[in-house]
Amino acid sequence: MDSPLKDILEALIFISIEPLSVDRIKEVLSDRTEEEIRRAIEDLSAEYTREGRGLRLQQVGGGFVLATRPEHDSWVRRLLQIERKTKLSHAAVETLSVIAYHQPVTQPEIQAIRGVDSSYTIKTLLEKKLVKISGRKKAPGLPLLYRTTDRFLTYFGLNDLGELPSVEEVAKMLEEGDVPEEKRPLP
Amino acid sequence: MEPLPAPETDCYQIRLEVFEGPMDLLLFLIRKKKIDITDIPISAITHEYLSYLGRKEQINLDREAEFLLMAALLISIKSQLLLPREQPPADEEDPRRPLVDRLLEYERMKSASLLLREKEEAQLQTWRRTSLPPIDVADEPGLIEISLFDLAESFFLLLKRRESENFQYLKAKEVSLDEKMRDIIRELEERHYLDFLEFLARQESLEEALIAFFCLLELIKAGAVIAVQERLFHTIKVWMRRSRPLPENHGQPA
Repeated sequence: MDSPLKDILEALIFISIEPLSVDRIKEVLSDRTEEEIRRAIEDLSAEYTREGRGLRLQQVGGGFVLATRPEHDSWVRRLLQIERKTKLSHAAVETLSVIAYHQPVTQPEIQAIRGVDSSYTIKTLLEKKLVKISGRKKAPGLPLLYRTTDRFLTYFGLNDLGELPSVEEVAKMLEEGDVPEEKRPLP
Repeated sequence: MEPLPAPETDCYQIRLEVFEGPMDLLLFLIRKKKIDITDIPISAITHEYLSYLGRKEQINLDREAEFLLMAALLISIKSQLLLPREQPPADEEDPRRPLVDRLLEYERMKSASLLLREKEEAQLQTWRRTSLPPIDVADEPGLIEISLFDLAESFFLLLKRRESENFQYLKAKEVSLDEKMRDIIRELEERHYLDFLEFLARQESLEEALIAFFCLLELIKAGAVIAVQERLFHTIKVWMRRSRPLPENHGQPA
């Protein structure tokens, strides 16, 4: 009985562009319990890992997607004739971290942490739909509040905000020390 | 000012531009000198900091005002430390404390951003399908539903375009919200959809365009219509939702 469900799920995930959530799957397969669906997804995922295929099942942005493996990157790019995907700027990733760890957060608060004017960077992040306006803070001037979006999660391969590097991981990185200097691009 | 200390090694000859800001530079100096962040020798670090700024022949105020602000803060902390006190200051009164807290938080965010950067790197090497053949969704077209901000942006774009027209017009006829709403619904019933920008551009005056914009927002809010984009950067279209009731009083054209 297990195998047909697994196959159906594979088809549904294959055909979805955005991460397919369990809730959405439940709407389609209304006669199956969440438990059954989750177990079948696990089986499917294990199968992809075990059999060493070109695709893997990724859990990002609150759902499941089929994606290529990093080691096949160069082949895919040759097929699509793309040199390299553009990365976010330093300022953008730094601002995103501040928003991700402090959300909901206002522009003055972001600026206080970074020590630099962040309005332009926030505007770019809004345009890329990596952050969104989630309301206004009940403070003088009613400043806008910013949050990260699902697209932010998908972009960094995270399933939910709980998967952000934890305080401990960040602290460990600080102890290992000097990483920021090593990674700093020399002029 | 005394002569600047010569840079120790070549790799420290770093331009100001590679720093994300004054916090970044200050943190870099503290870590480079292996200074205990909770007990910063303000005098020495201020000197170091200023010598970095001093390497620039000219300070570009637009870009580097924030670096100067930090210099001013350092000097003000130093002057507070110099003031004589009757009692040794309690720990929380240490004038360096707020800056240290900010630096620690900044450092935490900077490290977090490096971890995110690694995740980005890995994610950029995985590919997903990005397009699908068009699917007919039963009721509404399967398009990108857009946010209020996209709509507002479109609207401002239109206003900008019209700025150049510079009309001299007499007081336009008064248009009521009700009337405009009926117009929109009538048009939607005939043509099924409206091109958002084109519809607003057709309005005779700015007031009328504003009223039309508010009507559309009202209809979207009531769920009577839906604003969608077929593709990013394409025009925004407004469709009638057959399944939803129209807002009261605007149900049928009178």
